Amino acid sequence: MSMSTPLTPEIVSQEGNAMVLSMGPQHPSTHGVLQIMLEIEGESVVKAEPEIGYLHTGIEKNMENLFWSQGQTNAERMDYLAPSSNALCYALAVEKLLGIDKDIPPRAQAIRLLQMELTRIASHCVWLGTHAIDLGAISCFFYCFDIRENILDLQEAAGGARMHPNYIRVGGVNGDLPAGYLERVDALVEKFPGRMKDLRGLLQANPIFQDRTIDVGIMTAEEAIKWGVTGPALRASGVAYDIRKAFPYTGYDQIEFDVPTRTEGDAYARFLVRLDEMEESLRIIAKIRKVLNTPGPTVVDDPKIVAPPKETIALSMEALIHHFKIVSEGFRVPPGDVYQAIESPRGEIGYYIVSNGENRPYRVRTRPPSMYNLQCLKGIAPGNLIADLVVMIGSLDPVFGEVDR
Amino acid sequence: MLARLDDVARWAQSSSVWPLTMGLACCAIEMMTVTSAEYDIARLGSEVFRSSPRQADLMIVSGRVAQKMAPVVKRLFDQMADPKWVISMGACASSGGVFDNYAIVQGVDTIIPVDVYVPGCPPTPDGLLYAVNLIQQQIREGGRGGILARA
Amino acid sequence: MPSTQTPPIAGVAIDPTSLRPPIDDATIERVERSNLRVRLETLKAEGYTMLLDLGAVDYMPREPRFDLVYHFLKMPIVASSVAEVGTPKRLRVLCAVNDGDVIKTAVDLWQNADWAEREIFDLFGLSFQGHPDMRRIQMPYDWEGHPLRKDYPLRGPGNERSPRPPFALKSNVQAGTPPTGRTLEALQEQVKKAQGK
Repeated sequence: MSMSTPLTPEIVSQEGNAMVLSMGPQHPSTHGVLQIMLEIEGESVVKAEPEIGYLHTGIEKNMENLFWSQGQTNAERMDYLAPSSNALCYALAVEKLLGIDKDIPPRAQAIRLLQMELTRIASHCVWLGTHAIDLGAISCFFYCFDIRENILDLQEAAGGARMHPNYIRVGGVNGDLPAGYLERVDALVEKFPGRMKDLRGLLQANPIFQDRTIDVGIMTAEEAIKWGVTGPALRASGVAYDIRKAFPYTGYDQIEFDVPTRTEGDAYARFLVRLDEMEESLRIIAKIRKVLNTPGPTVVDDPKIVAPPKETIALSMEALIHHFKIVSEGFRVPPGDVYQAIESPRGEIGYYIVSNGENRPYRVRTRPPSMYNLQCLKGIAPGNLIADLVVMIGSLDPVFGEVDR
Repeated sequence: MLARLDDVARWAQSSSVWPLTMGLACCAIEMMTVTSAEYDIARLGSEVFRSSPRQADLMIVSGRVAQKMAPVVKRLFDQMADPKWVISMGACASSGGVFDNYAIVQGVDTIIPVDVYVPGCPPTPDGLLYAVNLIQQQIREGGRGGILARA
Repeated sequence: MPSTQTPPIAGVAIDPTSLRPPIDDATIERVERSNLRVRLETLKAEGYTMLLDLGAVDYMPREPRFDLVYHFLKMPIVASSVAEVGTPKRLRVLCAVNDGDVIKTAVDLWQNADWAEREIFDLFGLSFQGHPDMRRIQMPYDWEGHPLRKDYPLRGPGNERSPRPPFALKSNVQAGTPPTGRTLEALQEQVKKAQGK
């Protein structure tokens, strides 16, 4: 079987009890298709080598053959727990290349911010549900997915689909928020603190949960930076790097919010940081909700990039021509390269896009936060039990669509 | 007498179809949602998702099958005990989906036999529930079910 | 038949960074391959503690063919509040290399270059000297070819079902390319019917 890897066990212990075990790629606790080649002695891990590539989709090559606006659908399918964040990063990068990044109307920016924070909460819900299930706290899964259902309903109302809404596009967002949307956001904001209290009550002071996560998978700040870890895992190790604060985008510099940070660097710290982030996201949503009361345009005013509204096609020849050109040929992006990074729920997601003047990208390189977060397993896993390895993978929150692309 | 026993066996099989956790990509999240409280696949009999192929009857291939993963999927399918069924969930598993390129197997039915295809990208959890209903219907109507049926 | 990946002749980005002033917040620097290792060591000493990403781009008809792109962040290690982190400096280092050139690895400087270099080897074919474990990471271990190169067909070498590229832009479909597959059969049926056969 072509799964044989050239990893040969080095027998480290005196008794010579080391065994090579392949954990995955189909495993309930690896959060997706991850294979970890473990050298173990009894239950403790001597060496852990994650093997990725089981979900390699060739998205980067695919995007070189799709229009700029079609590439956004592929981008959304990379980090499938937070699709709006990939879409936003891609849209921001292309807008920078086009030179329209200063022209995005404030309402579009506010809607994008709202979608980002909703996606952040939804993604952390899945993280918490699956992390808790790995540790045996199965009822937490149901609470988390119930919260997520509300958010997915909102995404479906705005974009049309639950999971890959395709709502944030180059030039703005696809259509204004539907009627009644903001009232539903208000209802969510009201209901959410009670649900958060439930989640905290289930796990935070639970002695079994604490036993399993405190002092497990400790990563110092220096180690985290050495491995290129970003996001909540880095903030739990004491480095308060959040791109929303360091390199603000889409209106984050006008909203006041905190960045939760811890210094212990273990799995419990990462858990607390993410829970705090969920609550902080809710506060941001409550603030941006007020901004969204004022109506305004939701796309940039450039008919060569964003198709004019469908109603105008019957009335105006130029609108018809623009529509035709955009649908059949797409828009052309001036040549150049750009690196745009945003704070996804997993860390810093970056797009390095090279354009050569055509209507499709020349190269799209994604900086996947989960891949670098996962790589640090090689450094922090040895010396722990296999059960601790499960906790560590859960606390790092990898998404394999992003790791393998 | 034997036909009656066959009916009972098929009723038992269709009421407790236990899926294998073959969650690959985005569709896997919708598969997890189908086990959550709002959609609740447990009321259809799929009380638990088994991770060991020996203990599962239904393989729900949810997500895109990459070149490296294809032999793994085939091996797991072979390891499942008869009788077994396969749902190909989502566009990527059914036909390669959005990804018509070198890295994705264009349809999991090129490597394993599929009983029900669920379209969508990703399909809503209702779609998956309907697919499990169709599998149950297939089991009850015979063909690959029953203690005396062919595998 | 034109390959689906032949880059169009008009507007090939020879060096994208020289085409216009920088549009993002990173300082851009281009180094020669012979100078690369020394420059990376200097950068590490200067405080560029985090290698964010290492990628490659294939500019096929250009000599040298590939561009290695390093993204750095000057992140202070002791930075427990947002104010202390401030706005870290971003840096992008580009280095033009050819197929078969000797490129020294950066794993000893930044540990996370490990998988990034393996991925570049897998998808582009550039191998790094001194890497502890230079083997494929995304494709199966016995795969032939390097998929992200521009001369590698999108659907894989054996699967070019149709001479019409998957993305049929006017400029990359040769005039006179016939339709294929079911369209061709349907057309032939129609022609036969029209001719009364």
